[in-house]
Amino acid sequence: MLGTQWIVKTLKEKGITTVFGYPGGQIMPLYDALYDGGIEHVLCRHEQGAAMAAIGYARATGKIGVCIATSGPGATNIITGLADALIDSVPVIALTGQVPTTLIGTDAFQEVDVLGLSLACTKHSYLINDATQLPNTLQEAFNLANSGRPGPILIDIPKDIQLADHDYQAYLTPSTIKTPSDNTQQYPILLDEIKQAQQMISQAQKPILYIGGGVGLSGAINELREFMTLTQIPSVSTLKGLGVADLNNPYYLGLIGMHGAKAANLAVQECDLLIALGVRFDDRVTGKLNEFAKHAKVIHVDIDQSEINKLRQTHLGLQGDIKHVLPLLNQTVSIADWHNKIKQLKAQHPTRYDHPGEAIYAPALLKRISERKPTNTVITTDVGQHQMWTAQHMSFTHPQNFITSSGLGTMGFGLPAAVGAQMSRPNDMVICVSGDGSFMMNVQELTTIKRKKLPIKIVLIDNQRLGMVRQWQELFFNERYSETNLSDNPDFLMLAKAFDIPGQSISKKAEIEPALDNLFNSSGAYLLHVCIDELENVWPLVPPGAANENMLDKSNKE
Amino acid sequence: MNQKATHQFTITANDRLGSLERILRVVRHRGGHIEQMQMQSIDNQLFTLTLTLTTERTLSSLQNQITKLEDVITLE
Repeated sequence: MLGTQWIVKTLKEKGITTVFGYPGGQIMPLYDALYDGGIEHVLCRHEQGAAMAAIGYARATGKIGVCIATSGPGATNIITGLADALIDSVPVIALTGQVPTTLIGTDAFQEVDVLGLSLACTKHSYLINDATQLPNTLQEAFNLANSGRPGPILIDIPKDIQLADHDYQAYLTPSTIKTPSDNTQQYPILLDEIKQAQQMISQAQKPILYIGGGVGLSGAINELREFMTLTQIPSVSTLKGLGVADLNNPYYLGLIGMHGAKAANLAVQECDLLIALGVRFDDRVTGKLNEFAKHAKVIHVDIDQSEINKLRQTHLGLQGDIKHVLPLLNQTVSIADWHNKIKQLKAQHPTRYDHPGEAIYAPALLKRISERKPTNTVITTDVGQHQMWTAQHMSFTHPQNFITSSGLGTMGFGLPAAVGAQMSRPNDMVICVSGDGSFMMNVQELTTIKRKKLPIKIVLIDNQRLGMVRQWQELFFNERYSETNLSDNPDFLMLAKAFDIPGQSISKKAEIEPALDNLFNSSGAYLLHVCIDELENVWPLVPPGAANENMLDKSNKE
Repeated sequence: MNQKATHQFTITANDRLGSLERILRVVRHRGGHIEQMQMQSIDNQLFTLTLTLTTERTLSSLQNQITKLEDVITLE
């Protein structure tokens, strides 16, 4: 059996039914094996698109996403996707072709040191220089991608290794074969620490749950909602934590951080106990770090020990699986005054959608889409103003329904992520909310949508600007609008039409409902091009370097 | 001029392609400065790496980042 045939066999044994990639010289043997190998291959039109489609696939399901690229530029093109997957803890396996082992280090055609490049953007990576390593390396890669804190794994495979003919079964160590449940690493739960946490919670007067992406990754959504119901401890969410909380809980305050809800930020600043669950204390969340929740003791639960005490010193760090730890912390608490304060904050800082004039107000549009979308719709976004508006004004019932590049902030993410999500959940609606800047970064994936006849809905919010950068230029760079004017954008409807994607363009509030009828009633892909005022900013905002209680509702000029 | 405290790590790791680079990259990226190091391969299967370094960040944070690398077996 050839190495490539063994790879395909292993992928199938691991339950991989769909992979994303782009062929090229040094990965041709693997593509030959895929030709009739029984796995669906989605040809993306750029390796970056393939990597991000694999992320979308993984994030929409929790399964491992697989992407494939050739050596040299093929491999360098997936690097951004791997970096994205690393910081957002997404289980992805990247298979890259490499020049034959005898040519490695000779500056051969399309040769680059992929293993070297991968060090900073993978959880782990391999260069296979002996074909007999192939079976165990593949097993190890699958074990690692989804165990502990998930992340991307890269396997660089020289062409001669791909073509090596061996009895690979003989080189497979049975103990390396693990099922996903075998990979659920058990962390010892120390009863003394649990007792200490219980005591801290029971003594707190103003506790807050700080919910991060780790809760969803841990599969602890039910446990978290049960905890919220039982304790009625107020809660806030990070960008990656959206979709986890019970939205009907009266003390859930929504998104925190730079563009979070003001009530959420103010509550955190006032709390006396922060129960941090699967979070990273990211600077976009904390604002000025040493002012963040400065009155609070911190309990931090995370599967990754290196996150505990990384940025904020905790009073109690619990390394473990939130799914197992959280139920042990359940208890009733008496925090009536705090509840009143939370209610007061929510009442004082409501979200408003009344907006003067006829022009479309993006937050109101997104809220309306959120209300009309089927419950299990997957929303993907790109990065920028539209991303923050989506996080602020749309509601999600599961974190797998909101796929956004959170940690890396990768423009160009939304469209390929939607491709991956739609491939993994063919029966659910997938909507990509994008901006005119981001959309152009991986616009070639419209061809993938056409090729696979994917019914992806695209809501393109167009302010003819690189909006978030423009906003910062306005607020913090003396209105010096350096390279953020995109008024020479293409005709997006014509562009979509070139890929057989119908659509319409709207610019007035009165057009919204009929346009949404068209969007939701379309059987295939659809582009809703939404023209908005270039001067609209994302509010509220914590200015850079400021503490979260100093967030601005609007600038003085508005 | 303040003299920064030096620390010594002795790391045992799998001797696989990239594993030494990976450790050194993490030390550099996470704020460590290596002043002295010695590496000894053990039968091409394992290696021990002794690092003398300084860091302006907490030592435990750097230790945690190194320890979580897949090929690192022990750090003392």
